[in-house]
Amino acid sequence: MSQPDSDHPSSDSSRRILSALADGDATDGEAVRAFQAWRDDADARATWHAYQLIGDVLRSDDLACDAQGNEAFLVALRARLAGEPVVLAPQPRVPEEDLAALAAANAGPRVAVRARSRWQGPMAMAAGFLVVIGGLNVVRPFGHGADATLASSTGASSPLMASATAVNNGAVVAVGQQTPAQTKAAADQLAPYLAAHRQSAMNAPFQMPGNDLRNVSLVQPAR
Amino acid sequence: MTMLNPDPDAALVERVKQGDVRAFEMLVVKYQRRIERLIGRMVRDVDLVADIAQETFIRAYRALPQFRAESAFYTWLYRIAVNTAKKALVDLKRDPVTTLTALQGADDEDETYRGGMEPTDGETPEALLASKEIAATVNAAIAALSEDLRQAITLREIEGLSYEEISDVMNCPIGTVRSRIFRAREAIAERLRPLLDTREGNRW
Repeated sequence: MSQPDSDHPSSDSSRRILSALADGDATDGEAVRAFQAWRDDADARATWHAYQLIGDVLRSDDLACDAQGNEAFLVALRARLAGEPVVLAPQPRVPEEDLAALAAANAGPRVAVRARSRWQGPMAMAAGFLVVIGGLNVVRPFGHGADATLASSTGASSPLMASATAVNNGAVVAVGQQTPAQTKAAADQLAPYLAAHRQSAMNAPFQMPGNDLRNVSLVQPAR
Repeated sequence: MTMLNPDPDAALVERVKQGDVRAFEMLVVKYQRRIERLIGRMVRDVDLVADIAQETFIRAYRALPQFRAESAFYTWLYRIAVNTAKKALVDLKRDPVTTLTALQGADDEDETYRGGMEPTDGETPEALLASKEIAATVNAAIAALSEDLRQAITLREIEGLSYEEISDVMNCPIGTVRSRIFRAREAIAERLRPLLDTREGNRW
C-alpha cells in the first residue's frame, strides 16, 4: 500500500470524522473529508480498519484477524475493481431553485456550461424534427394537399401532426411542447385550409383518398 | 422493509453510486470479516471462502446502482453473499459440508476419514495466534475504559443503538455521545496499532 501522504496528516479531527462516519453520523461535509482522507492518507485507512476491527471483535472474538489478511484481501479486490466499469447510478433531478443556488455558490462558468448543455438535447431533437418534416415536404408529390389530407384523416388531433402542418403553412410552432390551447389554436388556423382542400379534392377528376371511401362510377363514352 | 434506524452506510453507498470506487473499499474493509465468516459457515473451505467473498463484493459493486435502500446495506450484502456461496456450491456440484480441500486431503484407506465433515482451517498458526492476540488486546482495552466510554461504545457496537438512542439512555447530549465513542475507539486503537502494522511497517 502507499505510504502516508504528508499533505494529508491523519489528525485528531479526521479521526473523529472517521468515527462518526463509521456510525453514519457524519455530516455531508465531514463525509467528503473522510472520503478524501481514505483516498490520500494511509494513516486514515489504517484508522478506519482499526475502528471496524474493534467493532467486530466487540461483537465476536472470532471476527478478530490479522491485518495482513485484510490488507491482502483488499489489494486483490482493488485489482478486480479496476477492471469494472465505474458505478454511476441515476441521480435525482436537481430542482431549478437548487441549481440557481448552486450557480451562486460555485464557479459560474461551469454551471453556465451545464445549463447550456441541458438545452442542447431538446434543441437538437426539435431541429431533427424540423429536418424530417422539411424532407417529407420536399419528397411528397402532392405537397400541401397530401399533408392536409393526412392531417385531416387523423382529425388533426395529434399535437405533433398539428405542429408539423403548421410549420408547412408558415406558422412556426414548437414541436412537442404544445399545450392543449395551442393545439386548438393551430387546428382553428388550419380549418379554412382543410375545408378548401376538401372542396378542391372533391371537384378534382383524379382525387386522392380522403376521409371516406366513396362509390364512384365510370361513365364510358359511347363508341 | 422498514428500518428502525437510518442505515449507517447510507453516505458511503451514495458516494459509491456517484462513481467513487474508493468509497466502496471502505465498505469492504468494514464488512469483509463478517461476510467471510458467513460464507465460511456455508462452505467450510477456507480456500474457497476468500474467493467467494471477493465475488460477493464484486457482485455487490455491480448491482449497487439497483440498491434502493429498502433494507440496510449489510442486509442486502448478506443476501448477495448467501446467493454467491450457493451458486459456487452448485457450480462445483458439491455438498455444502463436503469441501474440495477436505476431499483432497482425505486418504481413501484412512478409516478415520469422515467424508469431509470436519471444517477445514487454512489459517497458519501465526495467523491464529495474531487473531487471539488482537481479541485479547481489544477486550483488555475495553476493560480498562472508564464506565462512560465503555457504556457508550458497547451500546453502539454491540447493541447497535443510534447516537440519539444512546443519548437518551445515557442522558447526555448527542455531541457527548459522539465524543465518548470516538475516545473509546481511540483508546482501544492505541493499544491495537502495534499489532496491526502490516509488512515492513506499512499500513494500508
